[in-house]
Amino acid sequence: MIELVFAQLQRRDRSGADCVADNGICPDWIADNFDRYVTPFWEHVYLTLVSVAIGFAIAFGLALLAHRWRWLASPITQVTGIFYTLPSVAVFFLLLPLTGRGNTTAIIALVAYTLLILFRNFMAGFENVPAEARDAGRGMGLTERQLLWGVELPLALPEIMAGLRIAVTTTVGLASLAFLAGAGGLGEALFDDINFRSNVLVAGGLAIGLAVVLDLLILGLQKAVTPWTRAAAA
Amino acid sequence: MRDSVPAGGSSVTSANTAQSEGPSASRQAASLEFREATKRYPGTDRPAVDHLTLEVPAGEICVLVGPSGCGKTTAMRMVNRMIDITEGDILVGGRSARERDEVELRRDIGYVIQQIGLFPHRSIGENIATVPRLLGWDRRRTAARVEELLDLIGLPREMTGRYPAQLSGGQRQRVGVARALAADPPLMLMDEPFGAIDPINRERLQNEFLRLQAELRKTIVFVTHDIDEAIKMGDRIAVLQEGGILAQYAPPAELLMNPENRFVEDFVGADRALKRLALERVRDVDLWTAPLVHDGEPVAEARARAADSEVPYALVVDDDDRPLGWLTERGLREERVRTDLASSPEPIVDLDDVLRDALSDLLAHEVQYGPVIDPQGRVVGVLSIELLSHVTVTTPEAA
Repeated sequence: MIELVFAQLQRRDRSGADCVADNGICPDWIADNFDRYVTPFWEHVYLTLVSVAIGFAIAFGLALLAHRWRWLASPITQVTGIFYTLPSVAVFFLLLPLTGRGNTTAIIALVAYTLLILFRNFMAGFENVPAEARDAGRGMGLTERQLLWGVELPLALPEIMAGLRIAVTTTVGLASLAFLAGAGGLGEALFDDINFRSNVLVAGGLAIGLAVVLDLLILGLQKAVTPWTRAAAA
Repeated sequence: MRDSVPAGGSSVTSANTAQSEGPSASRQAASLEFREATKRYPGTDRPAVDHLTLEVPAGEICVLVGPSGCGKTTAMRMVNRMIDITEGDILVGGRSARERDEVELRRDIGYVIQQIGLFPHRSIGENIATVPRLLGWDRRRTAARVEELLDLIGLPREMTGRYPAQLSGGQRQRVGVARALAADPPLMLMDEPFGAIDPINRERLQNEFLRLQAELRKTIVFVTHDIDEAIKMGDRIAVLQEGGILAQYAPPAELLMNPENRFVEDFVGADRALKRLALERVRDVDLWTAPLVHDGEPVAEARARAADSEVPYALVVDDDDRPLGWLTERGLREERVRTDLASSPEPIVDLDDVLRDALSDLLAHEVQYGPVIDPQGRVVGVLSIELLSHVTVTTPEAA
């Protein structure tokens, strides 16, 4: 099976020019061939965002359960911890017979990876809610639901957003292996011609650029939704 | 006068009501009654609060005081059901707290805790508006109330948009009180509200709060471990001892005068007699009659008057009865009263002086007696060390 996959990775014809023959960094080649990265790039974006979104929803649900019933926190951490330590490549191959090649398999594996990070950050966020704010809220007659949505979640936001940043950048990296599950992405383009520098530069560069941009976007979002955290310093 | 008065419209009648009545309570304070209220935690052999029975009349401050572990905070938190009542009941305005929906009950009771518990992610205005929003007040009424409360606690209105982290400790404490007052609750619970404030600011906040209370007349349950604060703040003091047992429930003066048992006596401290003096003013005391004489009167007259009085010396006064001095031994040997043979009348005590200050004045001047004057400066009697010592050992008239 492994051989079969790596057979795909064989070097292909590099279309002419001297620079290409010298295996250099070739702007002309990059300009001419940029089209071929567009689809993998959007596949990569899709895999990342869908996986993180699903992971976020599941981790949020788990965190609410663990918030309500404290004893659940430890088993949930352990199970998601196991998911986290499984090598992703192994997970892809383990899932292949069950879910077949394609996005489903890749997304399941990527989601499993985000759970621990997101869950732990949700819990850290809840723990950072000052006990006296909770007590005062209850004492003034907030219902448990109002306390959760109006006090606890907003105050947990800095940690939650921090978790989201880690999850997104990690997922961008891991999605580079999603092609092993037949889900495409920049990894496919990268390994398509791993020995050709220009290819590696563009495919790798796009992946890194995606991680940086998404990270900055979330950072900006975090600042926008937690204005009080900066007020303290002012 | 107020720029935010709604411009007519029948939909805002409630807002109009809230504004026109101003900070003085529009809602009647509620009486509070603990009836054999008991809190037992599972797995413990002693209750945390043990059959607590006491009544707080509407508009009074009841201080729950005692050493740590006496159940004072537990007792307070049972009132708004932050802690469930195991046995007995607590009546707020005659209604059983146990039978009310706890969320609705809490919105009706102001709640202030030592750590204040402002929401760090909400602005000052939003914090103060917490309960009005829960109660569904409209925006305009809420905003008007927030401004009114900021005025009341003496914070500039520009503070509305600030976050709690941008305020000083004392300002945060005031906002905490404003937030508790926002929906004008008939009852307030305050758990060591000034406990985390430095002594100088604490004194200020206490005085500010007492001034506020004189206006608002809320029923207040005030928890503290500090007996001096209890005496200062309380109309009535409930001293609790370990195991949540009520040791004594009395007005401050009576508590200091007649501690019911050894525990209370120790708790109020060895200086309880002095503390007692801080509670009363000179006008509360049955002063001795002053043997007044005027310049030029026969000394025999002065002797006679002094002999009739508890004060052994005659006090020379001017034509308006203002004190000039005590007639000396030397002066008594003359035929007529001579002002120049009178010794200093200091200290001159004011009718409105606190007894402790008066005593301090007497001690500072190393004398036994001081003439007491009314606001016009006329001598109305004499205060003596002996009188003060009587005050410290006699029962006050029933308060």
